[in-house]
Amino acid sequence: MIIGISIALILSSALMVLLVLLHKGKGGGLTDMFGGGFSSSFGGSAVVERNLDRLTIITGVVWFVCIIALGLLLKP
Amino acid sequence: MLSAITRAFRTPDLRKKLLFTLGIIALFRLGSVLPTPGVNSENVAKALEQAQAGDSGNIYGMVQLFSGGALLKLSVFALGIMPYITASIILQLLTVVIPRLEALKKEGQAGTAKITQYTRYLTIGLAVLQSTAFVALARSGQLFPNNNLPILLNDDIFTLVTMVITMTAGTSVIMWLGELVTDRGVGNGMSILIFTQVVAVFPSELMNIFRQSAFKFVVVMIVGIVMIAVVVFIEQAQRRIPVQYAKRMVGRRMYGGTSTYIPLKVNQAGIIPVIFASSLLYLPQLLVTIFGNSANPGPVIEWLAQNLVTGDHPVYMVTFFALILFFTYFYVSITFNPVEVADNMKKYGGFIPGIRPGRPTAEYLNYVLTRLTAAGAPYLGVISLIPILALAVAGASQNFPFGGTSILIMVGVGLDTVKQIESQLQQRNYEGFLR
Repeated sequence: MIIGISIALILSSALMVLLVLLHKGKGGGLTDMFGGGFSSSFGGSAVVERNLDRLTIITGVVWFVCIIALGLLLKP
Repeated sequence: MLSAITRAFRTPDLRKKLLFTLGIIALFRLGSVLPTPGVNSENVAKALEQAQAGDSGNIYGMVQLFSGGALLKLSVFALGIMPYITASIILQLLTVVIPRLEALKKEGQAGTAKITQYTRYLTIGLAVLQSTAFVALARSGQLFPNNNLPILLNDDIFTLVTMVITMTAGTSVIMWLGELVTDRGVGNGMSILIFTQVVAVFPSELMNIFRQSAFKFVVVMIVGIVMIAVVVFIEQAQRRIPVQYAKRMVGRRMYGGTSTYIPLKVNQAGIIPVIFASSLLYLPQLLVTIFGNSANPGPVIEWLAQNLVTGDHPVYMVTFFALILFFTYFYVSITFNPVEVADNMKKYGGFIPGIRPGRPTAEYLNYVLTRLTAAGAPYLGVISLIPILALAVAGASQNFPFGGTSILIMVGVGLDTVKQIESQLQQRNYEGFLR
């Protein structure tokens, strides 16, 4: 049981990293971060981006559930 | 002020954005307290209590500050935004060195997007490195030096790998949350997340001081409020250089003829120099922890251990101050290019009254900026030295809540975010938060 959930967690983690990296970065640089210039928000997201969002959220939920389940199982 | 807040919540799209941002912050905090599977959270809590009571010098100062206490709890979001910040710093420095990156930066929007993408890849790489390092530290018990309870439940390789991967994924989730806030919320996501972590440790730290003595609590509050006022005052301070635009005809339309100004802030660099300097000064500590345990550490390591590891040593303070001065000038020279600004002004027919366009303008701008920074850089240095001085003089704890860096972050991010909300409010009616 523990090993199964661990594997699920590893898989969902890897998927999560991959999906987040697939997103187009909107972070801006350091200058943006601590008050420099204006960050322009351009346009709505494309269909691809929206589907990616949905996929990421689903993976995120799975990831989160895995963490909690594993945490509870491993509790001494 | 209060009516402005209610008005902000009455505007439908602004309300949506504010609620979205608050939701993300709540998620983020939840992840910061959720322990990574495999961590013995009871033992960690005990060890934390011991570390606090022992008042041992906190070697992870900056990292700990940015993680809002999540780091030592070994939570899912233990690494916080630190990998992203480090990656940004590295890329920022590399743009000066590597010509290809510089060319990308000059390309404008598309090039910047590419640099951002590189930053994201580097973030994940750094997250793998750092999480491995912390898990290894936790396994060998070096995370809490004066504690011998096992922090991990079992230390076979499979559990360790799971933990590392979970923390790495946590970092990527944080990155995504920050981007979501930038995209659909209010303000810049990453800085709001940093703000959250910095503010999150406040209540417990203040309670600690209050428990020590009520008088100290009052003094700290007064000092903190005065410092916030000073920082706000200087952060807002700017010199306005008047620019006159000549009238010109394009087809049948008249353009220009207006007068505006270039705002030059006293502290043009923000708090980035402080972050740079702290990150650099973290290196000697790292060296000492790695090599200091051997039987014969050698004179260099010994000297480092004596002078550059404890924050209240004069050599440390002087180095810190000098580094901040250097990085302030360095960063201002990266972000504001007088030649470029002068060229742009010339292109659109603008000039500073009394100064010829082109090279003289660039020289003038450079002169004014250098003089302004001569005031701004020592200000940054002094503000960030205050917690260290407080430690030396009054014996306050290392994470003195109104530390220089935290105040600079709080005020900087706070002002920025409020200004953004205000500009959105002004689309509907004119009165905002700030007068």
